[in-house]
Amino acid sequence: MSEAVPTVKLVIVTGKGGVGKTSVAAALAQAHAKSGRRVLVALCNVKESLSGLLGSEPIDWQVRRVAQNIWGVNMDPERCVEEYGAMTLHSKALFALLFNNKFLRTFLRAIPGLHEWAMLGKVWWHTTELRENGAFAYDLVILDAPATGHGLDMLRVPKVIVEVVPPGILRRDAEKAWALFQDPLRCQVVVVTVPEEMPTTETLELAGAMQGELRIPVGRLVINSVSAPLFSQAERAAVGAEVPVFPGSEGLLAGGLRAAARERCERETRQAHQMKRLAEGLNLPTTYLPLLPDGAATPEAIGVLAKRFLEAWLR
Amino acid sequence: MTDGPLAALLSSHRVIVSCGAGGVGKTTTAAALGVAAARRGKRVLVLTIDPARRLAEALGIDMQSAEAMSVEPARFEEAGYPATGQLTAMMLDTKRTFDGLVLKHSSSPERAEKLLANKIYQQISSSLAGTQEYMAMEKLLAVQGDPRFDLIILDTPPTANALDFLDAPQKLVDALDSAAMRWFIEAFESSGKFSLNLLAKSASVVLRGLGKITGGEFLGDMAQVLSQLDELFGGFKERAALVQAFLASSEVCFVLVASPSPVAIQEGLFFADRLRASRMRCAAFILNQVHMAPAGDPGSPRLGEVAEGYAQALRGGAPSPLDDDLPARLAEAYAGAHRIAKHDAGVLQKLTSEWSALMPILAIPRLAQDVHDVKLLGQVSEFLLQAQPVVGA
Repeated sequence: MSEAVPTVKLVIVTGKGGVGKTSVAAALAQAHAKSGRRVLVALCNVKESLSGLLGSEPIDWQVRRVAQNIWGVNMDPERCVEEYGAMTLHSKALFALLFNNKFLRTFLRAIPGLHEWAMLGKVWWHTTELRENGAFAYDLVILDAPATGHGLDMLRVPKVIVEVVPPGILRRDAEKAWALFQDPLRCQVVVVTVPEEMPTTETLELAGAMQGELRIPVGRLVINSVSAPLFSQAERAAVGAEVPVFPGSEGLLAGGLRAAARERCERETRQAHQMKRLAEGLNLPTTYLPLLPDGAATPEAIGVLAKRFLEAWLR
Repeated sequence: MTDGPLAALLSSHRVIVSCGAGGVGKTTTAAALGVAAARRGKRVLVLTIDPARRLAEALGIDMQSAEAMSVEPARFEEAGYPATGQLTAMMLDTKRTFDGLVLKHSSSPERAEKLLANKIYQQISSSLAGTQEYMAMEKLLAVQGDPRFDLIILDTPPTANALDFLDAPQKLVDALDSAAMRWFIEAFESSGKFSLNLLAKSASVVLRGLGKITGGEFLGDMAQVLSQLDELFGGFKERAALVQAFLASSEVCFVLVASPSPVAIQEGLFFADRLRASRMRCAAFILNQVHMAPAGDPGSPRLGEVAEGYAQALRGGAPSPLDDDLPARLAEAYAGAHRIAKHDAGVLQKLTSEWSALMPILAIPRLAQDVHDVKLLGQVSEFLLQAQPVVGA
């Protein structure tokens, strides 16, 4: 591989629930696809909203092309377990015997972490998957991981396998996947947040747990829903203080204007404070995404965010 | 102001379950409902899963102990929202609840200790999918008969899908279904030995096949732990059925919480459908964090002039050369607030036009700051108590 080719094969997108992880995953996929890279976006068994964001057909458990250079899959853990079994057993007869057994299926469901592992294993495998011509099937796989707690639980699974399971195929594969997740040259963890208090606190804890307990480096912070400040610090202070009467100041319009300005200033102050906490607490390369007035849930909005990624990060 | 439907719920039900996708303010809503209940004279218990630290502090929760703590009446008094009832908050600690069940139901303390020390058990008790949801329900069953409380408000775990809360316990039960466990124990006892038991024989073939992947004795250890758990709880199945029946009883109602984002609303509506199918009561759909339009008309011809006057007043005299566009920026802040309020109003209107006949839909304004103290909770509780259903066009 020449030095000009980016080495990152996997991007893991995580963050607190409701901060726009899937929008970020979609925009990132679009940005890479526009630069001519083949991208697979993998969702973890969710009621998927990605197709709505990309304006494509619904995305199910089968990998399918959803846009130019973009493929999508909504991983179904039980199918992932089966795929993994089929791949490792190398015997159709043994595979059928195993996976047609009702009791075994029940038992597999009870094994903690197996579903998480099967999905992570699938993601890892897709980063290595080759086309018939010998080239990689995807230049980049983007994992839209579950929110904070569940995301950590998921990423912890290969570590637990490496620690608890005796040597064998499972352990060997878990070791490979774990090595990928821990390698900042091949895997980039992107933590998404919004500049508000609770998400900031959770983000600091999440990044701490990632880099501390799991020793998975976090590569980038994406702060979503940032509103460009309208007012300077001095102006915010003036807006917050009592003001003298002015012509029309008793009217509805002036009341609304003052309330809107006050709220805007409070939001800007809070936003600045939370961004400072994030910068001091994490010291990570950061991309800021604008707060879009009509929300970030449309293909148009994703286009705007993708453009932003291209300008401010992926150039 | 008159009370809305949520105020009535506080008296008509024993348990209120707060559900919704992550990040919509579910925990805050549960806490504020608790404050509302205490203000209406109820002795209320708020069972919460993973509160933000400052919210936990506001509720008087000690994050380390997970013990039930009551909020001092003086704190309500100071915040300007006096309460005649009492608010007790408790944080649900999944592992602790699980360990407690093991200790309580084990045939001997030695057996319990052995299980608690088992590495596989330790993983299961904290990370087996569905454990958190299952334990939330166990806890609910445990406290629902507690005579110290008139009302219990349950904040559900932060699942990716709100539906997981209802489905996960059943999945856990299915997974620990004892027929499958017996089959495995038999298989392990006979594997390696010649057995005439055909079922067990095929099982040992199956397990040897699987053993190729996992290696060694891992599966056997796993089956042992799972079967021991099944035995301990005297059948998860019966308990899960009990919980399901309780959730469908007239004592329990659900409150769905969503923010004005299409994804969160979809999630809430799926949940409403699911509740109806399970004959559970969906008492209200709360559209939370709705941006309200500021007073006045954004298209008013007087806007420029009023903004100019306001800017003059803010400067306290002559403009400095740097801020001569201040009136324009004030007008922009005003227009921006109207834009986002219009967006949210559109979302609300679409929601009510399709759904208001099926359940009361309540819009709760977004506060200017994060809700993290008793005073702000009191403010939200006021909104919740007074919110009137928005009727679709």
